[in-house]
Amino acid sequence: MAQVHEKTIKRADPPHAAVTGIVVYPMATVAKQFVKSLWRPSTILYPFGERLENEDFRKSVKVASGAPIGVGEIWDNYRGVHALNIKTCISCNLCAFSCPDTCIEMVPVDTGSGKTKKCPEIDYGKCSFCGFCSDACPEGCLTMTPGYTITTNRRGNMVYSPERLFEVYKGKLPQNPTSLAAPENEDVILLDQDLCIGCNACSRDCPTKCIRMIDIPKPEAKAGEKLPKRIWKEPSVNDSECVRCGTCISVCPRECLYWGARK
Amino acid sequence: MTATIYSVVNALVVLLLNLLGPYVPGSGPYGPFVATWLSYLVVGGIVLAFSMVNVLVFIWWERKLLGRFMDRRGAMHVGYAGLLQNLADGLKLFRKQPFAPKDADEMGYYFGPTAYLVFSMAILGFLPISFGVSGGLVPLSLLVALALFSFAPLFIFIASWSSNNKYSLIGGMRTAAQLVAYEIPLLLAVVAVVALTGSFDINTIVGDQASYGWFALPLLLGLIIFFIAMLAEVERIPFDLPEAEAELVEGWSTEYGGMLFAFTMLGDYVRALIGSYLIVLLFLGGWSMPWGLSNYPLAGLVFFQVKTYIVFAIFIWVRASLPRVRTDQLLQIGWKRMLPLAMANIIWALALVVWGYPNIHWPVM
Repeated sequence: MAQVHEKTIKRADPPHAAVTGIVVYPMATVAKQFVKSLWRPSTILYPFGERLENEDFRKSVKVASGAPIGVGEIWDNYRGVHALNIKTCISCNLCAFSCPDTCIEMVPVDTGSGKTKKCPEIDYGKCSFCGFCSDACPEGCLTMTPGYTITTNRRGNMVYSPERLFEVYKGKLPQNPTSLAAPENEDVILLDQDLCIGCNACSRDCPTKCIRMIDIPKPEAKAGEKLPKRIWKEPSVNDSECVRCGTCISVCPRECLYWGARK
Repeated sequence: MTATIYSVVNALVVLLLNLLGPYVPGSGPYGPFVATWLSYLVVGGIVLAFSMVNVLVFIWWERKLLGRFMDRRGAMHVGYAGLLQNLADGLKLFRKQPFAPKDADEMGYYFGPTAYLVFSMAILGFLPISFGVSGGLVPLSLLVALALFSFAPLFIFIASWSSNNKYSLIGGMRTAAQLVAYEIPLLLAVVAVVALTGSFDINTIVGDQASYGWFALPLLLGLIIFFIAMLAEVERIPFDLPEAEAELVEGWSTEYGGMLFAFTMLGDYVRALIGSYLIVLLFLGGWSMPWGLSNYPLAGLVFFQVKTYIVFAIFIWVRASLPRVRTDQLLQIGWKRMLPLAMANIIWALALVVWGYPNIHWPVM
């Protein structure tokens, strides 16, 4: 106890601390700060003034060595507004499936040759910028850019049509992901041959055209047995081209297609 | 030297009334009466406009400087460099409906802040602000100014009591204790100045400083005491206990909104303005200028205003730096430190007078 008491005495403030420590030192510190901020206060004037981007910012402010990021910097892999390449989009719907916020809706887009195809329309009022859609995109046509100037004062302006997303794509912002990820789904499309009626819906709607209808032999009808009413064709899926979008499963009228391990 | 704002206005009003002739009552038997009261109104309007413009620029000055002290920019969007931001804020407050809380005493509730602002602004009618420029020629102008200055705790207490709110009441109690405690060192510091000049007339005090040098040199201790006491009198950090935001919401003005809140706010800044004026007038030479420029009213006014803004900048610097003191520390500083120092300052000033200030003959030991 005696030692503790001794320490307490040593740590006690000197008598002049009331003036130097409580008045002089803080006022000197604040005055130093005042002189520093006369040159440039740390307020960023965006959007009223220039925003200092990476290189300019590093030149004007000494970033402490080893500091990974400074105020006012935007990295290339910042997840901002999306970019969509309408021309390579295959309308597979995977972006809308993967979206946790249901902010993506597939809307018809005129392809120019009189036909329409469905492309994603993104509502940034709902978007959480998770990036799942760009990860899921099998063609790499839906990516995310560091663009952050999407704030508006109208709710309708938050909805970006495919054409607007295409404008972002043409703006040449850095895009990510830069490479395609392998599909996470290792399963393949399997067919319940007893249920299939050979209606061609899956082949017609497949975005990658990897389903081909092949002829199957019509069996001989036995006595007292009735052959099912169907077209004697069934789908054959080319697994190497399939993007696992599941469109064929959702359009099948007989629910005869399903996911399963490769046989 | 005898020309004041009042005399100039009065001459103009009499001239105007004579020109208008028989169509206005100014030429009848009540003519002098009408002319006098019209002149009072006009002088009041001039003082009001002068104080309001100064207060608005003061608030802007505080916002900008405080911003720089905190490494940001302060108001900057309305007007050039945010100069009109305070007008915009005032317009917003002006458009609000005044109302009293259910259990408040309405008369005191409305009377308190209004009288606080009016009595604070009335001081400016007595303070000369440049060579021969003052509302009226008052021989005891310093005494009148300090007397009006010490009215504030009464109105603050009325406002806080009639608000019927515990935070307001605590803030009002603290205001009364603080302002009464610091009134004494403030007046004692003034006594030293009066002892050196032998006059309560601010014109004489400034004239003496123009002749013999600023009183800040012989009465440095008095200046420091006056400055600290003035910080407490205008309720600024580190002595802002009456409206300690962390503990008392908004202090004695908690229940006020709209224009009544603006009255409390403007009153605070008018008092800060008068505090800065008094520091400059009593210790920093007022409008007296080097190179014999003192006798030009406009140059003196500009120089005086510049000094005032520099003094207020020190107020802001203190606000940006120092923490708030506790109630016991506040009273301890006031009664145990400031009061003896102020007495020592008076003794020093009297010694200077005895030794023949300004031509001091040091006593032979």
